[in-house]
Amino acid sequence: MAEWRTLPWIVRGSSLCLLVFYAFAVASPWIAPYDPVRQYRDQPDCPPMALHWTSGSERQHGWLFAYPMKMVNPLARTFVEDHSRKTYIRFFYRGHLFTTESPDLPWFMFGSEGLGRDLFSRIVYGARVSMFIGVVGVLISFSLGLAVGTFSGYVGGTVDNLIMRWCEIEMSLPQFYFLLALAAVIPSGLSTTVTFFLIVAIMAFISWAGFARVIRGMAAAVRTTPFVEAGRALGASRIRQLRRHIVPSVLGFAAVNASLAIPGYIIGESSLSLLGLGIQEPAASWGNLLSQAMDPQNVLHYPWVLIPGIFIALAVMSFNFIGDYLRDRLDPAVIR
Amino acid sequence: MVKIRSRLCVVVLATAAFTACRVNRIQNDHSIAQTLYQGMGSDPGTFNPILVTDASSGMAIEDLFEGLVKINPKTTLPEPDLAQSWDISNGGRTITFHLRHDVRWSDGVGFSARDVLFTMRAIYDPRVPNSMISSLTVDGRPLEVEAPDDYTVVVKLPRPFAPLLYAIGVPIVPEHVLGKALATGQFNRTWGIDTRPDDLICLGPYRMQRYVPGQLLAFKRNPDYWMRDERGGRLPRLKGQVLMIATDRNAMYLRFISGLLDVYRPRAEEVWELQQKQGELHIKLQPTGVDTGSRFFAFNRNPRHYIHNGKMDPKYKWFTDINFMRALAHALDKRGIINLCYRGLAVPAIADISPADRIFHNPNLKDYEYDLKLAARILDEAGYRLLRPGVRGDPEGHPIVFELTTPTGNPTADQICAIYKQDLAALGIKVNYRPLEFISLVKKLDSTFDWDCVLIGFTGTIEPNNAANFLRSSGNLHIWNPREPHPATPWEAEIDRLLDAGTRVMDPYQRAPYYWRIQQILHDQLPIIETVREIGYVAYRDSLENFDETTWGVYKPEWIQFRH
Repeated sequence: MAEWRTLPWIVRGSSLCLLVFYAFAVASPWIAPYDPVRQYRDQPDCPPMALHWTSGSERQHGWLFAYPMKMVNPLARTFVEDHSRKTYIRFFYRGHLFTTESPDLPWFMFGSEGLGRDLFSRIVYGARVSMFIGVVGVLISFSLGLAVGTFSGYVGGTVDNLIMRWCEIEMSLPQFYFLLALAAVIPSGLSTTVTFFLIVAIMAFISWAGFARVIRGMAAAVRTTPFVEAGRALGASRIRQLRRHIVPSVLGFAAVNASLAIPGYIIGESSLSLLGLGIQEPAASWGNLLSQAMDPQNVLHYPWVLIPGIFIALAVMSFNFIGDYLRDRLDPAVIR
Repeated sequence: MVKIRSRLCVVVLATAAFTACRVNRIQNDHSIAQTLYQGMGSDPGTFNPILVTDASSGMAIEDLFEGLVKINPKTTLPEPDLAQSWDISNGGRTITFHLRHDVRWSDGVGFSARDVLFTMRAIYDPRVPNSMISSLTVDGRPLEVEAPDDYTVVVKLPRPFAPLLYAIGVPIVPEHVLGKALATGQFNRTWGIDTRPDDLICLGPYRMQRYVPGQLLAFKRNPDYWMRDERGGRLPRLKGQVLMIATDRNAMYLRFISGLLDVYRPRAEEVWELQQKQGELHIKLQPTGVDTGSRFFAFNRNPRHYIHNGKMDPKYKWFTDINFMRALAHALDKRGIINLCYRGLAVPAIADISPADRIFHNPNLKDYEYDLKLAARILDEAGYRLLRPGVRGDPEGHPIVFELTTPTGNPTADQICAIYKQDLAALGIKVNYRPLEFISLVKKLDSTFDWDCVLIGFTGTIEPNNAANFLRSSGNLHIWNPREPHPATPWEAEIDRLLDAGTRVMDPYQRAPYYWRIQQILHDQLPIIETVREIGYVAYRDSLENFDETTWGVYKPEWIQFRH
């Protein structure tokens, strides 16, 4: 706990932020107040609703309530609070962290989107995609990059040369277009989970090469250091040298880079889904939620469609701040 | 200091971005130049009026060419155009058109009956693919067209054929320019979009002046145009027209708001804003009426699609089972679609012919009300029971799953599909939704037949027989089972018979019952499930005079002008 207090405030904030987002992802059915695909067809593009305190005998329903919104002008999509009814917010109710007494009278914390679905519930479910895509992607690409990089750097010679040229070929591919082309051939009818893993796999296989090159350089440098040579002189096997000497000495760098690479995946998935090539409706990801904001008319009239963008920005910044901090602490080259 | 500067810059940019949306109208000189600016969704594909199949090419050439007759969008009756009058004789089997003497092609050559004969020859030429031939065919035979002299055209029919006047108004093309190409089989390569504007020999109210691909099409007035107004003044009154090409609807809207376009047909979500800003933007906003076309879910009933390794796919049974289809019809929330996708500016579509066609629309059909409980009951009773919660199966126990597609790039269609998919999911029916590029979708519909369900829209026509290609069992666009060698079902055979019978009666009101019956059959048998029809709007500069648009088109477009 004492460690925690010594951390800069920005790192503490970022960690909390990520903790909340991962809680969204892990416990989405519990945290989301409503079914993320339920369409409240009489409340499309409903603005975020205000909360009010209850008083007197109403308290038995809970401390907070909201007035349901009624669409008064379907053409302009203007809503007014319907003061004849109240919908009470209850905590730890019907298997949700919080929700309204009746799911038929919803409280839209962040408003609703064009088909009348609760934006907050969709953001919570969207965190499953957006928060895990980075971690899974980084796991794939970094284990691949680490294995290939250390091996190539340690072995050297022709093998090293071949592997590195291959990496350069991969790095010279225009990444986003490559991603677009690959995403376009994902067949329809696959479940969201499968699509999700295909997208992660595609992104990971595009990005491992650059990392492998850096690791290879470090491994090649470490190979000639006295402590590795000493190990070799004492008769350590190649596997043992790799495992005990080479890999640990590049691991710090790898950890730092992993945390800095995660935002790339989040952004990548968002861009694909924004263009309709990633996670498909009705499943939610932060990227495809943001696609409603591509229409300037929507941004002008329903600014809450930008909220998913705030979540993307927060997640990306948090990973970057934590990554920066880790680099400062772990990378010996940085002078503090 | 640098920092503050850059911040200031950001603030300036941000305010500029926000005010850009309601910037005052740029002082333009459209009214001084008497030039009307309109928007167009995509580049034209051809300038050859016989080969036109897409809407943009149609828009590009519609003011360049004319037909023997034209349809008045207000009365929906045929009116004289290049033919100044016509007589019907021989019990409706002979129609004699008397052509105008005062019409000249833009190269100075006089227009005559030879051009009409040539145009008909081109349409019937098997080497010339065109969409007009089907409506100019009676009982599978072309019309007999003769020219006893230079200004008379006689059309002879094997039997009375009521739709003739609604089909004969095809754009006439000049024989002295294109005749050689048709003879040598080069016709399909003439008048592509790389043609020099001066080489497009035309006779309509305008001539093409300039085409800049991806940007604009400019037209100037035809000084020799034959039409005169009541006081003998020259028509058209505008000196020119420009069609601005913008593939992005938002870009088009912003161009209208900023005054670069004079006419704009807004989407439902833009109507409110335009209505509020009529005074500020100096525009007028008017409803034009209910959409003339229809947009529906069609289900593949083509047995050729469903045979895999000698076994019939169970989907064929579902889509030809009237109970299954009735349940699907009851699961379509038209009210919800109208609210969510059209902001209330639409009406439920019940009959296949739009209510805009006052004579032929059947007003007596009863809609399949949206009722998921009823739909579930119909399915249960027909043996489609829940296999497990959320998964329904057919009587043989196959879980019900099918593919739904629609052309890409249409957000409204995406939303309609999302709504339908959600309701079908509530019934335990799984729908895999995947929009497809228009070209590959057409290929599936027309040749590979590899599709289950499609949401697609057809344009409407005043004359219901012009939709015969869709209604007739042997038609190319008989979407659920195109080009049937024999009618596959008794009711398709009945539709074929009704189409034949309906064209033999000349009086529109006596013809109507045949087409009402066709709509009734489609409604009962449900090869297609109708969705909704949008209520159209048009917005235009208030300095435009005589601008009068109906759902069937602009009324008297030659009279339009800017106030002086």
